[in-house]
Amino acid sequence: MMQPVNLMVNGTPYELLVHPSRSLLQVLRDDLHLTGTKEGCGTGYCGACTVLVEDAAVNACLYFAVDADHRHVRTIEAMRAPDGSPQALPAAFIECSGLQCGYCTPGMIMSAAALLASDPSPAEDDVRSALSGNICRCTGYQSIVASVMLAAARMAQHERQTQPEPSPRSRSRA
Amino acid sequence: MSAIIGTARTRADAAAKATGQAVYTADLAFERAASGVVLRSPHPFARIRAIDVARAQGMPGVVAVVFSGNTPRKPFDFSIKDQHLFPQEYVRYKGEPVAAVAAETEAQAHAAAAAIDVKYEALEPVMTIDDALRDGAQLVHPRWKAYEKSATRFMRGNVCGRNRIRRGDVEKAFERAHVVIDSSFELSHGIPGYVEPRSAAARKEPDGGLTVWCGSQSPYGNREELAEFFDLDVERVRFVNQFVGGAFGGKILMAVEWFVAALALNCERTVRMIWSRHEDGLHVFPRHGGRASFRTGAAQDGTLLGMRASFAFDTGAYLGYGSGTALIATMLASAPYRIPALDLEAKLVYTHKQVAGPVRAPGGPEATYCKELHIDEVARALSVDPLELRLKNAWVDGDESPTGQKLTSVSARETLQKSAAAIGWGEKLPPNRGRGLSCSWWFSSCGRSEAKVEVRSDGSVHVVSGNPEIGTGSAAGALPILVADHLGIDPSQVRLTLADTATRTYDGGVHGSTATFSAGQAVEAAALDVRRQLLASAEESLEARVDDIELSGGFARVRGFPDHAVAFANLAEAAGGTITGEGGAREIEDPEFDPELVQSHDFAAWMAPSFTTSAAEVDVDPQTGCVKVLKIVTAQDAGFAINPTGVVGQIEGGAVQGLGYGLTEELQFDESGIVNTGLKDYLLPTAVDAPAIEAIIVESPSSEGPHGMKGVGEPPVTTPAGAIGNAIRDAVGAVPHKTPMTPERVWRAINAI
Repeated sequence: MMQPVNLMVNGTPYELLVHPSRSLLQVLRDDLHLTGTKEGCGTGYCGACTVLVEDAAVNACLYFAVDADHRHVRTIEAMRAPDGSPQALPAAFIECSGLQCGYCTPGMIMSAAALLASDPSPAEDDVRSALSGNICRCTGYQSIVASVMLAAARMAQHERQTQPEPSPRSRSRA
Repeated sequence: MSAIIGTARTRADAAAKATGQAVYTADLAFERAASGVVLRSPHPFARIRAIDVARAQGMPGVVAVVFSGNTPRKPFDFSIKDQHLFPQEYVRYKGEPVAAVAAETEAQAHAAAAAIDVKYEALEPVMTIDDALRDGAQLVHPRWKAYEKSATRFMRGNVCGRNRIRRGDVEKAFERAHVVIDSSFELSHGIPGYVEPRSAAARKEPDGGLTVWCGSQSPYGNREELAEFFDLDVERVRFVNQFVGGAFGGKILMAVEWFVAALALNCERTVRMIWSRHEDGLHVFPRHGGRASFRTGAAQDGTLLGMRASFAFDTGAYLGYGSGTALIATMLASAPYRIPALDLEAKLVYTHKQVAGPVRAPGGPEATYCKELHIDEVARALSVDPLELRLKNAWVDGDESPTGQKLTSVSARETLQKSAAAIGWGEKLPPNRGRGLSCSWWFSSCGRSEAKVEVRSDGSVHVVSGNPEIGTGSAAGALPILVADHLGIDPSQVRLTLADTATRTYDGGVHGSTATFSAGQAVEAAALDVRRQLLASAEESLEARVDDIELSGGFARVRGFPDHAVAFANLAEAAGGTITGEGGAREIEDPEFDPELVQSHDFAAWMAPSFTTSAAEVDVDPQTGCVKVLKIVTAQDAGFAINPTGVVGQIEGGAVQGLGYGLTEELQFDESGIVNTGLKDYLLPTAVDAPAIEAIIVESPSSEGPHGMKGVGEPPVTTPAGAIGNAIRDAVGAVPHKTPMTPERVWRAINAI
């Protein structure tokens, strides 16, 4: 019944034997002990379990682990620099107080990471749409949206600084 | 004025939470933990004929089975002892626990639970307030007369509580009035809506004690209750609270903790339970649903003369937190308006539904929604501007509350004026756009709280408080600030140990807008104690007078000679390793009230009352009834904002919870019980539903709170729904008198169908 699965999680390769019914969330939390990713509803409505498969945000609770075979998975644990300091997105959430209880935060940050990967300079409405699958009960979203906007601005600035002659970037959104 | 207290600061737990390192209960790893599951009633009402657990006990992997036959049979709960851990004779709601099983694996535990043979005799349930109050109605508690209850608790058949405030003669007031307006309302049940479902683990200890890992709002209180119930030495029961993934009142009453404890006491294993969303939904302690009717008489100039208000709340199968909700509803029904004649009543009614609980500001959104829509109706009948009518009647310093409390630091008018100005009150709007206001008041409360502040030999500063961090920032946002200020260090250098009962720092928990109010006092007192000790010790080593020494950057320094200094580390070393300061919240006497006006209230006067106004602007599509909230402004009196960032966070979050209450959130029940246990069809607001929010902090200091603060956690959820409702009516001339105001209900209101 068990099936071999090759997962690349946050840059680390894992060879696992996984029952085909197990979700990516269960494998991440229970087998790999990456408990930063949370379960809020188990049915895909709250987004607390959001991770990136390749660059797409998925609900890990609805995603079979075997379907991630030979794919790159990124979780909240990847959102730190090698020295342990938070990357731009979590740093902005800290700075803008884009969190309270913190339970939705990992999923929220991963959804935002998927957005910024496809659209580095989103408008506020784009951010709200991209996060509309992630429930936050504490903040009222305003500080979360501000966090993502700040992270986008910082990342764009960083890119400008590291690329002396930037090519004009068109907005990916229609 | 202090340099730190009152300035916006990053909360202490932000980095851990933003990088996935904060540990919640379900993240804990236990070696060889058994999995627990709960067997729940499929019936809303049934007599239990027999329970046979023998087959389940022999199933593979099973380590413990608990049910009414092998657990204490004593009844518990608030002022009526109407509830058992496992029901003895009847199950009273669909989802009520009847047994629990622990086994090696969750699958084995489920299999064993399914093998428990419960013989039910299904009975006709009472699912609505109307059914419960009908003549000859089925009694939810057939033996209610035999229940132990507190002396003040009113009980008759399916009615399990009544609160009433009366002053003056309302009938005479109505006779004198230029207009007398009637309004009636229906209120939905709602869920707390925390994203983290409840989970817990428990282990029996060799000394006869018990350790419980959980995410509670009230670990010390829960610990006492658990110890008493299972007859354990409370000193040997340890609650180790973890980060809590949201609570909103839903994690005050014990739930999962009961079952892991019962199982762990019956086996030699750590037992853990992680509830699914569905199971958490079956065991939810919802916000009370119910109904209300209002009658108010007013003079032609808009002066309010008399009000009668009557609420009936559906408290479910057991009293739960009904007493608080009913009491609060009567305290809010006429407030914050000066009305000489009042008759305000709230009843609690048993039905075969989930047990209603103390969801963030219990009674607050419910009563405020009804009252504020009704007040607008009075204003409209008189053709008086709703803002003018409110300002005319709003309390000012020296006015009396409904129960005769003399009010001070009243900021109702200021919150009205500021929120109205920020929403653009009176400015012209395009068609189908509208604005509305909603104003209310709330209390602070002060409970027992103890804290320690330690300066250790490595110079680090630690705060030990019993206050749990449930997300609000009451601990992680506020406590470091209160310590840092007195020790001359940056708040980011303060390390927190929270809510582990082994630290013996009692705290009453996070509820009733009490957390920073109480724990803040305790922590500040402990910080001052440490400060005194540091200065005394530095006096010796610096050979300077205390008055000449200041604390800054982890050193005690002689003023004017910054290099003449001694490090905290050295002072701690000299003191034997650690300097410990201890402190507690002071006891504050409740304000006085007039007992002639009210006899039914456990607390009839409100400490450090605060005032809040929300203003909303909406766009309504009259073809569909869809409401888009464009903006919510909430002006809230925080007394004094110890950490303004935290207060703004409470206001913004409260605005969107209030929006959900007003527009989308409805726990649904059919004839056999709860329908929507999941998030698919219980609609919590998302980022696209949330409007722009403007938070305005008003600071009208209280005499009781630390630095003049008032409790801030609950008020901002009470006012938005009423503001949205009044804005809908302003936009399209009609508004449903029923929460949530769904598109269908708005459409029906517009079309009077």
